[in-house]
Amino acid sequence: MAFLGQFIASLAAILMLAWIARRLRLGSQIRIVDEDHAKLLSDEVICGFKAQDIALDQTGRAALLRDAAGRIILVKVHGAQFAGRLLGPGSSAAILDSVGSKSLTIDSGERVFGKAFLDVGDPEDWVNAINAAKIPTDA
Amino acid sequence: MPSTLLRYQPMPDFSPIDFAVPFFVALVLIEMIWAWRIRPEAYEPRDTLTSLAFGLGSSVAGLLTGGAVLALSLWLYQFRLFDFGGEWWMVWWAWPLCFVLDDLGYYWFHRCAHRVRWFWASHVNHHSSQHYNLSTALRQSWTGFFAMSFIFRIPLTLLGFHPAMILFVGAFNLIYQFWIHTEAIGRMPRWFEAVMNTPSHHRVHHATNPLYLDRNYAGTFIVWDKLFGTFQQEGNERIRYGIVRQLGSFNLLWAVFHEWIGIAQDVWRAPWRHKLSYVWRPPGWTHDGSRETSDMIRARWLERQGSDSNNGAEKPVPNDNSIAGHEKPA
Repeated sequence: MAFLGQFIASLAAILMLAWIARRLRLGSQIRIVDEDHAKLLSDEVICGFKAQDIALDQTGRAALLRDAAGRIILVKVHGAQFAGRLLGPGSSAAILDSVGSKSLTIDSGERVFGKAFLDVGDPEDWVNAINAAKIPTDA
Repeated sequence: MPSTLLRYQPMPDFSPIDFAVPFFVALVLIEMIWAWRIRPEAYEPRDTLTSLAFGLGSSVAGLLTGGAVLALSLWLYQFRLFDFGGEWWMVWWAWPLCFVLDDLGYYWFHRCAHRVRWFWASHVNHHSSQHYNLSTALRQSWTGFFAMSFIFRIPLTLLGFHPAMILFVGAFNLIYQFWIHTEAIGRMPRWFEAVMNTPSHHRVHHATNPLYLDRNYAGTFIVWDKLFGTFQQEGNERIRYGIVRQLGSFNLLWAVFHEWIGIAQDVWRAPWRHKLSYVWRPPGWTHDGSRETSDMIRARWLERQGSDSNNGAEKPVPNDNSIAGHEKPA
């Protein structure tokens, strides 16, 4: 019974702290500011990754980077930080047509990592490159 | 047998952590106000909620499994090498000795928790936040009992320290480690940094900058890292916190169990002769070299630094991990 009381008090304290963090607007709205920044972030995903082609979302929420070997890294905003993945056979890409613009949707292949949406200039090239690595479903 | 021991050997009915929790909450609140005024990016509400939920879940797991650990320890206590007598709690010098030896045991537990994937699967919970603040300190594992982390305290019991004494000093060790999870404190006085684990030393431990990977395992005394060759001084470069392969999710259950799931998948897929290696070898090890261990990452990074300096590139300090953005270092 004593533990139940402690549990409820702790839960209340946790919810209060999380609420205060939200009310104080902690966690800045970060963005990928430019291609150099995107390169640094890709180096976080794979140490030594040297990007040659870069597609940066216009709002800076995500970026795609490709090296000379054709490997593609997706970097996206995650809370007040960034997280990235090397895309592989489980990943896929598609173009979404919305009002007057095309946006690129990347599915990393990991359900919990989620999808990323990029507004980039030339999405077709990236769709082809990412989907080329997919495992054929009818094989 | 344990029940008999419990009857005849008084157990202090005092849990230091229970008394510390209100101070933990108050200090997190104070650090949040500091972040609000100085560094709003030091906290992220969803990350904070996940970390604190880890802490709460860990205390529930501890309640469910603590009895079994205590019973085992009391059973092992009868095989002790030395005997402090019936009134062991009156032997004043046994307390600081037990604290120091428990801290040494913690160092080796912690080192194994980073170098053996089985133990890492539990300990990774504490490292999976990309933030480094006091709420991260409360991000404790739910699966420590399953991972059998308690085995690292058995030698102390067999030496002759009563399990209650070990639990008591272990709780103080855990409380000590709370305050070092902050970016709000730069460096402590030199003499203190030389002997004690500090925010500066422990920031290195939580960093994923290649140079910092698997360094500074200390609990309370940093001297163990200096003694066993795992110490790394904090430099001026930006620190990236978290794990090499960041979760990219605030899903609590995924954060708790992802590495256990990863082990199960790897063992399932691996050829028979490699299956066990996915359990006891370092995190990142694969039989086909498709992933990297921290040693491999550091070696490649150091190699790169060497070639950069040979090419005349100006890169005096490692600055690879700026994933935290363009903020100034703490």
